[in-house]
Amino acid sequence: MEAKKLCLALYTGSVDKLTAAGVILSGAAADDMEVDIYVLLQAARAFRKDIGDDSSKLAMAENPDLKDEFLQSLKNLNVKTWVEFFKEAKEITDVKIHICGLAGKVWGGSKLDDFISLADDICGINAYITSAQEADINLFI
Amino acid sequence: MTIDELKNLEVTKSVDARGTACPGPLLEAKKAIGLIKPGDIMEVLSADEGTKVDVPKWCKKQGHDYLGTIDENGYFKIYLQKK
Repeated sequence: MEAKKLCLALYTGSVDKLTAAGVILSGAAADDMEVDIYVLLQAARAFRKDIGDDSSKLAMAENPDLKDEFLQSLKNLNVKTWVEFFKEAKEITDVKIHICGLAGKVWGGSKLDDFISLADDICGINAYITSAQEADINLFI
Repeated sequence: MTIDELKNLEVTKSVDARGTACPGPLLEAKKAIGLIKPGDIMEVLSADEGTKVDVPKWCKKQGHDYLGTIDENGYFKIYLQKK
């Protein structure tokens, strides 16, 4: 099967939606899809080196009162963390993670080294538009 | 294939993914298929209902032959042949 392309505009910085993005990435990895991820506004905070998998620093998009229950349930089910999902997808298929330059600066990060090592580069918004135009599947999370 | 035929298959690779929830079993299958040769049979053990739907669809897309599923008590044995 010809590899298809997924373009993901990742806006969320919340642990529940980041986990959902990670699950979807796994599906794309199983199909050997080429994946471009554009890390926008809130998501750039989660990609900061001092945050990443530290769920105590991440909010919940929905049911904020149930964060502990949600995280404990994922743990009980042996589900990977969002960073682990992203890392595994990168190991299996061609996943490139681009940090939006503006988003990075909003959260105090102006160079690639300010973000977790999964990030590949810092980009401008036209890179996202170009990727979205070429992609077979476009998602905004 | 019938259940008896599935039970008598010569399995080259068995992947026990019963400890993980979706998407774990599919990714375990994806990683393991790279370790076997074309024509080899792989067995995936999963306790996740979603896997018995995911694996046949994934096989169809990837060109592998989905051979069938045995419903054990509390988990599934899913069989496929690498293209």
